[in-house]
Amino acid sequence: MDPEVRIVNPIDTLALGSNYEFLYRYFDQTGLETELPGGIWSSDNPSAISITTDGFATGVSIGSALISVQIQSENGSDVRAEHLVHVGATTSSTNTLRKGSLRSTSSYKLQGDFTAEQMGSMVILSFEANYEASSSLPGLYAYLTNNPNSVNNAFEIGAVEIFKGAHTYEIENISLNDYSHLLYYCKPFRVKVGDGELE
Amino acid sequence: MVNWNNVAWFLRGSKTGRTLVEFYPSACMVLAFLVLTFPLLAGGGWPQPKGYGYFKLSEWWIVADQHYTDAGRIDPNITNGLFNTNLYAEYGFTDRLTGILFFPLFSRNYFNNEVSGTTGEVIKVGEDLNSIGDANLGFKYGLTKPGSAVAISTTLTLGLPLGESAGGTEGNLQTGDGEFNQMLQVDAGVSFGSSETPLYANAFFGANNRTNDFSDELRYGIEFGAGLANQKLWLIGRVQGITSLKNGKEPSEVSSASIFSNNAEILNAGAEVNYYLTKMLGISAGFAAPLSGEIIFAAPAYTVGVFYDMKK
Repeated sequence: MDPEVRIVNPIDTLALGSNYEFLYRYFDQTGLETELPGGIWSSDNPSAISITTDGFATGVSIGSALISVQIQSENGSDVRAEHLVHVGATTSSTNTLRKGSLRSTSSYKLQGDFTAEQMGSMVILSFEANYEASSSLPGLYAYLTNNPNSVNNAFEIGAVEIFKGAHTYEIENISLNDYSHLLYYCKPFRVKVGDGELE
Repeated sequence: MVNWNNVAWFLRGSKTGRTLVEFYPSACMVLAFLVLTFPLLAGGGWPQPKGYGYFKLSEWWIVADQHYTDAGRIDPNITNGLFNTNLYAEYGFTDRLTGILFFPLFSRNYFNNEVSGTTGEVIKVGEDLNSIGDANLGFKYGLTKPGSAVAISTTLTLGLPLGESAGGTEGNLQTGDGEFNQMLQVDAGVSFGSSETPLYANAFFGANNRTNDFSDELRYGIEFGAGLANQKLWLIGRVQGITSLKNGKEPSEVSSASIFSNNAEILNAGAEVNYYLTKMLGISAGFAAPLSGEIIFAAPAYTVGVFYDMKK
């Protein structure tokens, strides 16, 4: 997989005349978070939002700007992330909800839509009624991960006990942007069953 | 003209079905992704004569990096291996009643390191489990008189859970499944061919009652054998199957970390060669390969052994 830089505290609206510090995290080609300084922030419309290279933004005038961060990965390639921000009356973020769909990457059944919502220090992971997973495997576990191919460095949500229908998990002490994928994995046999990207 | 005595002795003495025990070590011994246990078919439809027996020491193994899924397709898995050193014995208490013992003296189950395909880093260190395995104790009774044109017998096999059912840090290494099962099976065999090339055929059907929420099973198979080189060399081919009644709990419900998954099915084809070095002492080798399956390893199993066949 490709290295990724992720804006971890995106906002939708920046108050006119106020400041905001954007932050990023870098994940290497294995999905492992790595301390990698040197990310350079920029704005495609400095007349609306100006930003210093180290991420301090200011709402200059009513309008919109695409805020970007770019960093050079360990192997020399440029990695980039961007987010559209408007200038308005208040600083706000509606980015507290991510959603996705499970897909099977094996011959075992896995499907269904899900959402992940930040509620304070907790993330509520909710599966829709169309969720279905094979119950034929012993030891099927769910993980949050930045590498959908591995449970290495992943957060183990727990053993899957519901195989059909709507249900939720309440996950303490994580942030909505800590992980990029849901991963279903048969722990005893080390078999990946499927995944779903948090979009 | 057929030398029926030779055929009958071979059938009673060793090959027929006895290798089933070796390929499928015990009624409890199979792992969801490892091997499925097959019944003792020992001797097919022919019990041992009174006071005679057959004894075998063998090594059996399977190494698999793929398995049949619940949809019958083949998916990869971490390489997993099972090696068993088995003792097998038959003894005729009467001309119709034969006692049968299958005992894995040493069973080794392991899985390899899990290595990152990107960095080569070891993600999970491999583990192993060594112990005795699940054993089988059986009694075969001849329903037809010795010498009948069609030999029919019934066998009761008790699967004794002597192995370990949850070894390793994840509880995913097993040398047994932890359940006591009872299987009742019927065999029917016939001898034919010529005195130069004696032949036999045997078929069996069995019902395996499993405990601890495991699904019951139907087991079946056919086998053909031919004696060559003045009956010193015997070649055998067989097809065997297990169909789960799926009346137990789902694998996910039986044990969250158990490798002994439930509801496994398989259809196998195998071949074996037996060679008598002396009148009573011989060596054997064989394999069995899966043709289809569900929740079971998709890999061939092999065996080699030495046997002692008491002959009249």
